[in-house]
Amino acid sequence: MKAAYEVFEALSEPTGVEEDWRYVEFSTPFSGLKPVSTPGNPLDSGPFLAALGTNSGHVRIIDGLVIEAESSEASVSRLSSLPDPPTSDRPIPVDHNKLTAAHAAFSNDGVLIDVPPNSVMSSPLVIEVQGVTPDSATFPHVIVRVGENAEALVLVVYRSAEGERLLMVPEIDLRVGDGARLRYLTVQGVDHAATLVVHQRVTLGRDATSRVGEVGLGAKLGRLDLRVDLVGDGSSSEVVGLYFGEGDQTLDYRIVIDHHGKSTSSDVFLKGAVEDDAQSVFTGLLRIERDAQKTSTFETNRNLVLSENAKAHSVPNLEILCDDVVCGHASSVGPLEEDHLYYLQSRGLNKSRAGRLLIRGFFQEVIDRLPIEGLEGPVSEEIFSRFVSAQEEGRVA
Amino acid sequence: MSIALKVQGLSVSVVGKQILKGLDLEVPYGEIHAMMGPNGSGKSTLCHVLTGKSGYEVSGQAFLNGTDLFSLDVDERARLGLLQSFQYPTQVPGVRLEEFLMEATDEAGVDPDEATARIEAVAERFNMVDFLKRSLNTDLSGGEKKRSEIFQMAVLRPRMALLDEIDSGLDIDAVRQVAEEVDEMRSPDLGVLMITHYSRILRYVTPDRIHIMIDGKIVDSGGAELADELESGGYDAVRDRLGLPKAMAAEKTLKPADFFTETPFDV
Ligand SMILES: Nc1ncnc2c1ncn2[C@@H]1O[C@H](COP(=O)(O)OP(=O)(O)OP(=O)(O)O)[C@@H](O)[C@H]1O
Ligand SMILES: [Mg+2]
Repeated sequence: MKAAYEVFEALSEPTGVEEDWRYVEFSTPFSGLKPVSTPGNPLDSGPFLAALGTNSGHVRIIDGLVIEAESSEASVSRLSSLPDPPTSDRPIPVDHNKLTAAHAAFSNDGVLIDVPPNSVMSSPLVIEVQGVTPDSATFPHVIVRVGENAEALVLVVYRSAEGERLLMVPEIDLRVGDGARLRYLTVQGVDHAATLVVHQRVTLGRDATSRVGEVGLGAKLGRLDLRVDLVGDGSSSEVVGLYFGEGDQTLDYRIVIDHHGKSTSSDVFLKGAVEDDAQSVFTGLLRIERDAQKTSTFETNRNLVLSENAKAHSVPNLEILCDDVVCGHASSVGPLEEDHLYYLQSRGLNKSRAGRLLIRGFFQEVIDRLPIEGLEGPVSEEIFSRFVSAQEEGRVA
Repeated sequence: MSIALKVQGLSVSVVGKQILKGLDLEVPYGEIHAMMGPNGSGKSTLCHVLTGKSGYEVSGQAFLNGTDLFSLDVDERARLGLLQSFQYPTQVPGVRLEEFLMEATDEAGVDPDEATARIEAVAERFNMVDFLKRSLNTDLSGGEKKRSEIFQMAVLRPRMALLDEIDSGLDIDAVRQVAEEVDEMRSPDLGVLMITHYSRILRYVTPDRIHIMIDGKIVDSGGAELADELESGGYDAVRDRLGLPKAMAAEKTLKPADFFTETPFDV
């Protein structure tokens, strides 16, 4: 794509000064990275998929290239094998930033998943997205089109090779047709040496519903740039997520929920914790367009800062161009609450034990709301064990 | 008879303001003591300082069954058998009552099977079964929170209980029920300090002694006649009798909730 390449060349890498890159250091310069034409050896599926049980289809994208794509309940095609892949009408502008331009210029494969109208998926379609080749920059592309009145379940698991510096820039385009329902969960478990920047869009038709979940665990920089467009009247969106940063991780969530249709509703609910030198960023913009009467929208972002050098930035925002709406936001950043600890300790729990109970409790609320069932156990175990080892090593206050 | 709780010359200040002013108190095992006093006289502060809440400047001494309380952390005091039923029980979202009690009983060395059975039986008796799976105190009514506190006490079996206004916010039947439960827990292994504003609760649980706290000190202790005096003449009658200065008119009393707010430290 020549035009995209020119845009890519013209744009500079984010420096952290740009409004939507504030707080973040983008430290994997393209110059040291190379594209991949033959996928490396796939990794195993990791602990989360093992817990899932059955699936209704399996896609594996290694280094941006599809090595497996099958489903008994949806039609799945490799983008590179389609004569006319539907990537030209992508909802993410090429010049959104240098990374989207890079994606448009260099992405050479991905999948198109069509869920037939009126069908109901029996179990999740699993998409494994892995980066394995050292010093690579790869650009997986996923399009899911949920047909009218259909119900789709999709689980995406991101992983990368241990200790390898690499960059993954997936683009995820989720189009939910009239009356359709999508439940979509991401488990982001790439290695702490990798950089992952996901551009994800959800477009909702009339009376369509999406429930999008995020479990953010991995990456040196793990960023989700998520935009949900509630285009159809009566559509609704739920975004639920949790993240836990350790070491020098940055977990970065940029969310825009844009309400266009009438009588739409949306809820964003993200909770995270940071320890060591990790930082998290949440910016959440709820935008209500001029004709979006009877919109109701809410966002909540709660952060626990568990070590002195850890940081959480939480910036909720509203942009309302219509007056017949109900909306609000709640945001907090702080350590485990003193009066919670006091209450638990006053019944005999020592401080570490009280802290563990509070960490579990803090995340349980999100885990209970994840859109795909079956992963609750391994997700809460992973978070819990991160906190417990930090406690044992004295890395948390 | 051995002494469950002994407090000597306790003075407490918070942010430079003196709240307790040399307080002495003894609660022997087997006894239930009531404590009454005007709003802001320092009753809850006494409970918090004994429980070990941070943020107070403390001088004086307190002993739990002879052990110096002030050298211990909050949880160590609890493991020695001290339990406070809070005037304003904290909501802890996400932590389920049942899970919490399993941890607390485990910490107290109770075998998990026994703990499960005990929690179930006591929950039945206190009509708390529906609350076991819910988050601690979260979205409970005022009265339900108090019920939950007494329920926890019955499960955890403390040796010294500080009951801070367990009857406030309860309906008439619930006051009777809670009072009768407290009376039933009366045992030679337990001391109880019961703070209340209402003599109603004293109809169902007869205190061995009533203490009157005014302005950070216990100004009088005695039997049921003190409650009667308060009922008819209020605290001014007590002040008159003891020659204490009258209360200052409409002094604004601040609650701890006015001081503890969430302070985000984002930059
Ligand atoms: N953290 C604090 N900072 C400042 N003042 C405090 C603090 N905690 C308590 N106080 C003050 O100390 C005094 C005693 O408060 P306390 O809560 O002990 O009263 P109380 O006797 O329990 O009253 P009530 O009957 O209304 O419950 C009050 O004037 C209160 O405002
Ligand atoms: Mg009080």
